Amino acid sequence: MNRNNIFIHVALALVLILVAAFAGQLNRWRKEWKSHVRIVPAAEKKQATTADEIALSETRYFSHPEVLVKFKSGVSRERIEALTSRLNDRIEDRIENAAGWKSIDDLDNADAAAIVAEYAQLPEVEFAEPNFEIKLPDAIEGPLVPILPRDPQFNDQWALANSGQRGGKEGADISATLAWATTTGSEDVVVAVLDSGVDYTHEDLAQNMWVRPSDMDPYQDNELGTIDDLNGYNAIDNTSDPMDENGHGTHCAGIIGAEGENDLGIAGVNWKVRIMPLKFMNAGGFGTTKDAIEAINYVIDRKKAGVNVRIISASWGSTQRSRALEDVIRTAYENDILFVAAAGNASTNNDRAPHFPSSYNVPNVISVAALDRNDELAKFSNYGSKSVAIAAPGVEILSTWLANQYEEKSGTSMATPVIAGVAALIVAENPRMSVDDLRKRLMASTDPIVALKGKTTSGGRISAAKALE
Amino acid sequence: MSISKDGAVENARKDLAKRLEIDAADVKERSVEDSDFPDMSLGAAEDGEMSGQMITPGWRIRLEAQGQTFEYRADKNQVRAYKFKGKNYRI
Repeated sequence: MNRNNIFIHVALALVLILVAAFAGQLNRWRKEWKSHVRIVPAAEKKQATTADEIALSETRYFSHPEVLVKFKSGVSRERIEALTSRLNDRIEDRIENAAGWKSIDDLDNADAAAIVAEYAQLPEVEFAEPNFEIKLPDAIEGPLVPILPRDPQFNDQWALANSGQRGGKEGADISATLAWATTTGSEDVVVAVLDSGVDYTHEDLAQNMWVRPSDMDPYQDNELGTIDDLNGYNAIDNTSDPMDENGHGTHCAGIIGAEGENDLGIAGVNWKVRIMPLKFMNAGGFGTTKDAIEAINYVIDRKKAGVNVRIISASWGSTQRSRALEDVIRTAYENDILFVAAAGNASTNNDRAPHFPSSYNVPNVISVAALDRNDELAKFSNYGSKSVAIAAPGVEILSTWLANQYEEKSGTSMATPVIAGVAALIVAENPRMSVDDLRKRLMASTDPIVALKGKTTSGGRISAAKALE
Repeated sequence: MSISKDGAVENARKDLAKRLEIDAADVKERSVEDSDFPDMSLGAAEDGEMSGQMITPGWRIRLEAQGQTFEYRADKNQVRAYKFKGKNYRI
């Protein structure tokens, strides 16, 4: 064999080896591709009939459920299966702790909006929505960017964003706009406003009002019988209607959760939340200890029934101690419910002359003093280095009032729902946080204020932004 | 129904006369002044009563009878006797 033939054979052998290697790699790539991505024409998928083919089909189309559908109560599993089958869909899963909801996988791979429309028109369906893809946010670098709502009277809400308006001190606020960069609240968090009721029809509150879920039984009281508590509870008349006849409760509710970004009036500390209205004070703004106890018992009962009510906002009180009231607040503590209470407006020291319920030594009670727009303790506010925990804005606070109105009011009544609102934001971000940890978090989330030194336990003004760090 | 300032004074005079068991004509109006009260029971809570801790505008009414001065507190919703013989009464 001459030298030229040897070179030719060696070259051919190398080419063959390279071809074989490349073919092998191609096969591996093909297998990998198949294991990850399968694009199958619709016609082909409908031909899957054998068990293997069906299994393969499921593998092919199993990505993520595409729509979430809530069927009306009473619609049977068989009926739901028949409906989904008719639409060539499949029930992916029942959703834990969300009665009636089903996750539906569309086998036609259609547009989610079209599938939602398809289900929404069925008489058996209460609600349908796309299964939104939730992505972890990109790592936040640098300071949070303040979020400003477009509610038209937001500029008058110095407690949330104090720019020095009307002679105030710039920055003497709860840093709400920074907090909103983290969360604006959650519909899953329920705050009980124990007060003169709430005007639940107010246009800036209506969307954030708690309504008893359709699958929850009406309230049963051992003595009073069944009360259809669709919109809350009225402990004065023991009826189902907690409509406010005074305005005080509506004002407090707006501070906690007037709907944000709705082009109306004001924004609450929470743009989204659920406010449970409880009425124990009459048109004059006063009520009895007995009715307050009845209303707290109601909250505890609803908590036990599954309502995620984590906070009671109590903008009321007196200097009279009630062991019965203290006991029921302790029971609320045992049920993981925070009790936010007004320190009182007598300009007195609660360490020496207690004010109740804010002065009860129960672990879930957090007593609230009021600050003005210059970071001074309000001239009317009670104080106490041992008995008053924290302070919040409570002078000239704009909020919702009866009949779609808005009014400025002052008092530790107004400071209390600010703290309740911040607590709700914390729970929105930390749904499993215990009441003990929630109270600790609030106490650790203040900006030190000179005027509060020796006047409150924390010595500071609540900062919603710090509370969410 | 909303109570006027004059109506509140008249209610207070009648109440004091009744408590002292005297004729209403013998109760003199000493002063009536606008006032901000610390809470919604006008700083004059009855036993077992809780009230909203909101500053509440109203009227401080001082009446004179039998050589003594008596204080009443009122707003558009209510009239109260303040510390009459040591106790508060909503009338």
